[in-house]
Amino acid sequence: MKSYTETLYDSYGQEFTVDKVYFENKTDHQHLVIFENARFGRVMALDGIIQTTEADEFIYHEMMTHVPLFAHGNASRVLIIGGGDGGMLREVCKHSSVQHITQVEIDDQVVDMCKQFLPNHSAGAYDDPRVNIVIDDGARFLTECNEHFDVIISDSTDPIGPADVLFTSEFYQNCKKCLADDGILVTQNGVAFMQLDEVTTTSSRLQAYFTDHSFYCAAIPTYIGGVMTFAWATDNVQLRQLSSDIIGQRFAAANINCRYYNPSIHSASFALPQYILDAL
Amino acid sequence: MNRITIKTTDKAHFYRQMIQQHGSPLLILDCDKLAQQYQSLSAALPDVKLYYAIKSLPHPAAIHTLDALGASFDIASSGEINLLREQGVAARKTIHTHPIKRDKDIRDALRFGCTTFVVDNIWELEKFTGYRHRVGLLIRVSFPNPNTAIDLSRKFGCRADEVSLLIQKAQSLGLHVKGLSFHAGSQCPAPDNHVLAIEQCANIIESVYQDSGKLLAVMDIGGGFPVEYSQQTGIHIDAFCAPIRAALTKLPEHIQVIAEPGRYLSAPAMTSVSSVMGKARRGESTWYYLDDGVYGSYSGQLFDHAVYPLTIFSDNTETEQAVLAGPTCDSIDVIAEQVSIPSMNIGDMVIGQQMGAYTSASSTNFNLFDKANIIAINQLELISENVLQFNQ
Repeated sequence: MKSYTETLYDSYGQEFTVDKVYFENKTDHQHLVIFENARFGRVMALDGIIQTTEADEFIYHEMMTHVPLFAHGNASRVLIIGGGDGGMLREVCKHSSVQHITQVEIDDQVVDMCKQFLPNHSAGAYDDPRVNIVIDDGARFLTECNEHFDVIISDSTDPIGPADVLFTSEFYQNCKKCLADDGILVTQNGVAFMQLDEVTTTSSRLQAYFTDHSFYCAAIPTYIGGVMTFAWATDNVQLRQLSSDIIGQRFAAANINCRYYNPSIHSASFALPQYILDAL
Repeated sequence: MNRITIKTTDKAHFYRQMIQQHGSPLLILDCDKLAQQYQSLSAALPDVKLYYAIKSLPHPAAIHTLDALGASFDIASSGEINLLREQGVAARKTIHTHPIKRDKDIRDALRFGCTTFVVDNIWELEKFTGYRHRVGLLIRVSFPNPNTAIDLSRKFGCRADEVSLLIQKAQSLGLHVKGLSFHAGSQCPAPDNHVLAIEQCANIIESVYQDSGKLLAVMDIGGGFPVEYSQQTGIHIDAFCAPIRAALTKLPEHIQVIAEPGRYLSAPAMTSVSSVMGKARRGESTWYYLDDGVYGSYSGQLFDHAVYPLTIFSDNTETEQAVLAGPTCDSIDVIAEQVSIPSMNIGDMVIGQQMGAYTSASSTNFNLFDKANIIAINQLELISENVLQFNQ
């Protein structure tokens, strides 16, 4: 039987059996593949690193969207950087308070390919009339952007590759510039147990621009090695300390069905393991 | 001096047919021979994982043949990575062995999925700080060998007494050193330096463990396995490897041994076919101008210090003094001088044997002469497209 081995780490890794290859692209000096795995459904990997799977993507996408959106409480304008698979868009679209969503994806082929081969990720969200898709480099877009957003979600790949500009000080500074009052930036920040440097580096960079920054966590099975951290940055220090009651009221009012997120998880996800606190 | 064999013209049929079909000059890559070489070396070094040094002959058919046999691959540049990616080689089967890299080289390798790298100095170690959670490192140690054609411990490798300092530095940077590597030389006439290096690396591994408790689990014994050229005959790989095997049996059981053979695998697998494109009588010698020379497939006679055995076909037993020159305008472009061969006609062929390693790999387009085409024969059936890049 064929298998796919992730090559993220030299001394540790995960392997998938491959029932069927749906798509493989080895051009442009990168290697992208989508295949079927018995446990995780459709799996997308880029340059030897698992990007998303049908079985566990809900954890990642729910936590990257509902945590900042419910903490904000009345977000109407949302910016998604990356997120070409459409999973982030699907979750943001569930919020009726949101009136406008801009998604900036560097590669239009990723969007088309994911619509075709990972249709359950976007689940039709690309057809939502509130959505404006911009094909551009996310870092460049923010440099020139004069709009303001209530929530910015950076759904990037690993820092090695085209997404490295989404982890720079300049990028965070431009995010700050494009956030409305009480706006929140959240970013994918890696698995801290395996890559603690990402947490400390991001923290020191965010500190320069935001009154309040921290991380929150969720365990996503195929982002192996422990909990994934999401960076959180805003100038409103209250927003990550809201009570479960307030979050619970907003969640109930929104009438959104989730499989991982709930108000208790929301509050609890800001509790950080001691090894992360020690590093910060 | 090139060893020249004269064969009767009826033996020329295969080569004549090949250049009629593919043109001249040609390089004929025999994938069967490549597979035999891999199997011979695997048998001579039974517990050693072989990483083919693709620099010696970076050709898709060679990669594919060895990949199908279960070989791993030694890469040293992003161009070599691209070749492996195109051939669908699983990145877990690769190590990056260039001791000096730019940041982009490291990133390209990581994006391909190669996570093992070689370093030999502190500045190189520091380049991995940002990638420390992803990589495993081998420290290359220098064991100078004055007896080889090419001493690979001059340009790269730290001194044996520097290893423990590098390991300390790596640990302070949070980097994982997983073993040692060395290159005993290229085209080694005897395995003495391999044996010496294995013994000394074993001592280093032991003393590092005693001093710091750090376990080194990999020993990369490099390449250097010789093939027969004109100057060296009667090489038997099993006999050559016997002292190496004996040295390896003394290693602690936990150490995995790997090697990076290039020349031994590729050299015997390729044959050059060139044709006489002109001749002239100059002084005592007849000059034959071939359509391939030292700027082309015979570049290894300059860069690699190899002297390839040649074959010409003639039914005439009388010989005369001759010079075999390449096609370019440069006077250095001479393959063989003062050789005694039967008279040849324009259009006659000259065959170069053992011409797989460091031949086409270092050939040029000087004078804008085309490089010799490589024609692969005896290829394995290609595996269907969509299983590329996956483990079988």
